[in-house]
Amino acid sequence: MLDYFVSIATFVGIYMILALALNMQWGKTGMVNFGIAGFFGLGAYTSGLLTVDAGWPFIGGVVAAAAMGFVFGAGVSLLSVRLRDDFLAIVTLGFAEIVRLVLLNEDWLTRGPRGLPIDVRPLSGLFDRSTYGYFYLGLVALAVIVVLFVAEKLARAPYGRVMKAIREDDVVTETLGKNVLFYRVQVFAVGSMFMGVAGALYAHYVQNISPEHFVPMVAIFIWMSVIVGGAGNNWGLLIGAGLVMVILEGTRFMGDFVTFLDAEKLSAIRIILIGVLLILIVRFRPQGILPEPKFRGPGVLSS
Amino acid sequence: MPRKVTRRTVLKTSAAAAFTTALIPSVSWGAPSINIGSLTPNTGGGGPFGPKITSAHKLVVDRVNAAGGILGGRHIALYQENSETNPEAAIRAARKLVDVNKVAGILGTWSSSVTLGIMPLCQEAGVIQMCTSSSADIPKKDTKGYVFDFQALSPRWGKAIGDLALRRGYKSFSIMALNNDFTGSMVDGFVKRVTADGAKIVNKPFYYNGGQASYRAEVAKLIKGNPQAVFIPSYVTDFTAVYKELFRAGYEGKVITVSISTGSKFKKAVGEAANGILHGLPVPPLESPAYKFYLKMRGMKDTGGVQHPFGTAGMDQMSVLLMAMEKAKSDNGPVVAKHIREVTNPGGESVYDVVEGLKLIRAGKDVNYTGASSDVDFDDEGMIKGRFFQLWEIKDGRDVSIERVQS
Repeated sequence: MLDYFVSIATFVGIYMILALALNMQWGKTGMVNFGIAGFFGLGAYTSGLLTVDAGWPFIGGVVAAAAMGFVFGAGVSLLSVRLRDDFLAIVTLGFAEIVRLVLLNEDWLTRGPRGLPIDVRPLSGLFDRSTYGYFYLGLVALAVIVVLFVAEKLARAPYGRVMKAIREDDVVTETLGKNVLFYRVQVFAVGSMFMGVAGALYAHYVQNISPEHFVPMVAIFIWMSVIVGGAGNNWGLLIGAGLVMVILEGTRFMGDFVTFLDAEKLSAIRIILIGVLLILIVRFRPQGILPEPKFRGPGVLSS
Repeated sequence: MPRKVTRRTVLKTSAAAAFTTALIPSVSWGAPSINIGSLTPNTGGGGPFGPKITSAHKLVVDRVNAAGGILGGRHIALYQENSETNPEAAIRAARKLVDVNKVAGILGTWSSSVTLGIMPLCQEAGVIQMCTSSSADIPKKDTKGYVFDFQALSPRWGKAIGDLALRRGYKSFSIMALNNDFTGSMVDGFVKRVTADGAKIVNKPFYYNGGQASYRAEVAKLIKGNPQAVFIPSYVTDFTAVYKELFRAGYEGKVITVSISTGSKFKKAVGEAANGILHGLPVPPLESPAYKFYLKMRGMKDTGGVQHPFGTAGMDQMSVLLMAMEKAKSDNGPVVAKHIREVTNPGGESVYDVVEGLKLIRAGKDVNYTGASSDVDFDDEGMIKGRFFQLWEIKDGRDVSIERVQS
């Protein structure tokens, strides 16, 4: 039982990193990213291939995944310099599809649809199966703390106020002498870097990845986490990621208790129930569980 | 900073958390039942097949429980999960089955990416996997001998269909396949078989991506050089679009594919144009008493045609696992895995009803389970040995059976 919680907590941790990264890009700066699965997959495959085929150590794989995320994040945001909102959404969605199709078709590198088995794990010889779960959870938790720390630092620094200003009105920000493009590229690249790290952590945890792991559904879960938790609030979306997972996983246990419905009906009802619960949350708490704190200036304007 | 953490939000969150935790402990407690997991594709790409596997698993467990369980009257607890035909969701479901329900085996995975996706976890935790997946990678990655595949691997599909095509007298082929583990690895078997008999491969085989609106370029490449026949391993969604292009291009040779692409949905979509297509599939041994027993158990009529190609495998999976447990006198995964072949492979009295088989095993007799999906004999790698493949031709909008081979 406990092993299961540890494993689900590990997945929640990985979702949290993705959600924090999305919050940086969308929640704080207003850049829509539907290509989460692309950056996530890119990180997973980068780390997986480097450790399996090139013999890199785990930590090297994670760093490389971060670098790939950063570079491609910068690239995608530069490509879409003049695009905002819905257009950026389409570009990022397209990017995710390109990544998935490349992973699927470039067999010589990625093993295509057969999937990539990854046996490299940090310090795997030292623990038994159950203890290793705790160790990996600790590793993911550490990553969450680091990402959260960076995200919070950025948000509270003057840098964070520029991000928010860009989100609210980029023309005003530009007029005030801020290089909006530069900020946008930076934020997008850093967010994508964290998504790459999440991908690497995921790959070495599940140990067998294929392009089918990185379908747009993943992006939807992360968006739900951010929206449910409260866009713009880093702490809220941590709760959001947890809650989305509680809904996804909790509904599973229905089948062990409800005996009047057979398994095939239950599995369909479960998917419906997930949808209904999310709709209810958004209906009754549209601002999210923890809304974004309002910015209070030093009081110059009001006095 | 976190603001607005009101008493209400705290209450709500903790209530939600308490609710889920309260649900869980009662699962792992209780009588020392024998726990078995079923992970079937009830939604997504495997949606048409999964529910039949699910209910077949349940039917077998109910029968055995009604007859007094196994291992000296222990009750069998079946935990059923939906893989959503997606490895990401399936891994979480498998975690629950392994770590919460402590299952000895996970049965019924269908898509290769799901079977392979949960494999690292099952290998580590000592959980038996029984699947109907065709990826040639399955035996390679199963280093511990815990995986038993009730479906023929893709290269064998290719070989059998190639065999059937050669017998129809075709001498030159062109091949394109959907880029997916199942259909992709069918190509090798097909090419190997037909070239061995001196047939010509006109164009180098290639793969296409699913979900495209049009396949004009791919089809043009396929029929260049006018091969006598084209082989297109595919799924129904993309095959419909591919076939439309083939028809438009005026291709006059024979079109050969797998039967999963030419179901009623396809025939309805293309109408008369479907006539003449050859298609093949591994089929249950239709005359066997095991298959008839399956139909009776489900209260279905024997139409003479193929019904429930995967549901039959579901019955076989559960029957074999339960009999192997009785034989091993254990419900420990790795121990039971060693005894599977003892109840399936030749040597012993032939049985198809699990209750009958369990009785014989308890009486100390050897049994040879003969299933509804195949004879269920495993090779050293845990792969099924012989399956019947059948070839059909579409005539007047209906499938007309042509020939059956064992491969």
